Amino acid sequence: MTDQLDRSNVAPGTDGPGATSSVGSSFGRYAARQLLRRFGQLVVLVVSISTLLFFLLRVTGDPALVLLGDLSTEEDLERVRSFYGLDQPLIVQYVLFVFQAIRLNFGRSLVSFEDALSMVLEKMPATIQLALAAVVLNLVVAILVGGWLGYRPERPERRAGLFAVLVSQGVPGFVIGLILIQIFAVELRLLPSIGREGLSSFILPAITLASFLLPRVIRLTAANVDDAMREDYVRTARASGATSTTVLFRHVMPNAVVGTIALVGVQFGFLLSGSLITETLFAWPGVGLQLIEAVRALDFPVVQATVAVVAVLVFAVQALVDILIPLADPRLRSQRA
Amino acid sequence: MTTTQTEPTGVTRGVLKTSRWTMPGLLVTGLIGLVIVVVLTLWGEQLAGFEPGKQDLRARLLPPFTDGHLLGTDKLGKDVFARVAAGFLWSIPVGLLATSISAVIGTTIGLIAGWNEGWIRSTLSRFMEIAISFPYLVLAVAVIGVVGRGFLALSLTLGLVAWVSFARVVFAETRKIKQREYVTAARLMGASSLRIILTYVLRGLRPTLVVMSAFIFADLLVAEAGLSFLGLGAPLGEPSWGNMLADSRVNLFDAPWMMYGPATAVVITVLTANLLGDGLLQFWSRGTHQQ
Repeated sequence: MTDQLDRSNVAPGTDGPGATSSVGSSFGRYAARQLLRRFGQLVVLVVSISTLLFFLLRVTGDPALVLLGDLSTEEDLERVRSFYGLDQPLIVQYVLFVFQAIRLNFGRSLVSFEDALSMVLEKMPATIQLALAAVVLNLVVAILVGGWLGYRPERPERRAGLFAVLVSQGVPGFVIGLILIQIFAVELRLLPSIGREGLSSFILPAITLASFLLPRVIRLTAANVDDAMREDYVRTARASGATSTTVLFRHVMPNAVVGTIALVGVQFGFLLSGSLITETLFAWPGVGLQLIEAVRALDFPVVQATVAVVAVLVFAVQALVDILIPLADPRLRSQRA
Repeated sequence: MTTTQTEPTGVTRGVLKTSRWTMPGLLVTGLIGLVIVVVLTLWGEQLAGFEPGKQDLRARLLPPFTDGHLLGTDKLGKDVFARVAAGFLWSIPVGLLATSISAVIGTTIGLIAGWNEGWIRSTLSRFMEIAISFPYLVLAVAVIGVVGRGFLALSLTLGLVAWVSFARVVFAETRKIKQREYVTAARLMGASSLRIILTYVLRGLRPTLVVMSAFIFADLLVAEAGLSFLGLGAPLGEPSWGNMLADSRVNLFDAPWMMYGPATAVVITVLTANLLGDGLLQFWSRGTHQQ
């Protein structure tokens, strides 16, 4: 029953096509193959999403009409159609559209007339900084709290703690953000709740974004620590007279942490969903906030450029995790490389 | 949610039994939550004593427990409690419709991938692996940008975004069911694949589908609230929890209490669905699996 209701993402490696590698190849070749696999996935994803958006846009109405609004004349509509190639056969439009998407060419914003791709790339550092802060926060808190909870999970206070983590999984991230703003920005007036200026402006958005993923990561870390505690090597270490500190930090935690890193890497896409909400909540000038504004303004080139850039980011992170995990865990290295 | 969070990382081999609640405990708590949700959905307006859409500009931004307003009023003098209750009538239909859409798409694709072998299975399972890694909210926002807002567009978008979670579970379960003796027996008796799928496999999948629906419903409820909060879900002015939370953000300094009503409603509904899902999961697996 354990794998029946797995709501999480596929983890890197073991059950993907890359896991069935030949014996005897070097680690470098393994890494190259992983990169190639992720790149193939990226192309498939960008083509699928472009296809979906292309046909949805044409099924739901006339794109020229959407661009110009209801008050436009038939002449204007014709001019827009021929300018954007909308007067060509559907299949020609589609093939052109997909090729443009693969080459990451999305045209200009319909609002500011800037190049859509460079608009998105310009906002990227702010988004990556925030996501990175949230990832670090997740790892640190999950290792500390998860390690504490999983070391002796049967004790009453840790059972209560695990239950609290379970409940907190049902609290949406933006509610946590609103509560944080209320306490630290409105009541205590300690921290800014809007914008991106100085280190203090990082604190609330980073905690909010981290909270989207944190309960899950804590639970997995606790489970991994609990598992590792039952392993033979822990019993051996104990029997040979190691102190509990040595057991925890030399034998248990290194094993548990690999799983934590893998989960955070796999769930990076989920974290970016949280970025949309966090950036809007805190007026954080990143890709997410820009995407929301672009959707409200029906600025399709920017929307499409954002989707493609986010896809590249997600797959880059996953490829990185694919390569890092076997480096961190010798068992996986010998298994695969 | 104890047994549901296994990560197939190859690193984790077991699952920590986080909640030591017994199965009846989960189900009873879930049922209590269900009663609260149903009562508020059906009789919330009467309990509040105000109409959710009624403005009263003389009674703007009242704190809780003034003039009969249990949770206070918003910036147009509408009763917050009545609007929170009306939010159930928006969120639950959206959640149910979106869950059904994703269940139908996900089950179909999962069944095809799980029953067939060879290239169909490998193509579909690879595609599922790719699809699940993309941030669902980014996709939902992009699709809403194209198809527009409103009840149907929102439900369709959420359903379209969530099908992969269904498909992956149905895929794994179908592969297991295909190995069972009764499927082999049916085949030996000459039943066609379609008939085996429609009678035996679907019946075997029933518990999985019910439990998954509860979990996906909870996830989609949060997603809906998030989209409405971003101004891309429920139409403006519609009493949805996401809209109300967005309003409360504007009035954080004048009326900090405004967020607690809708926030509590989201949390109660999500917890109820998750508890019921967990309880049913343990109920159905009690024979085969020692908890």
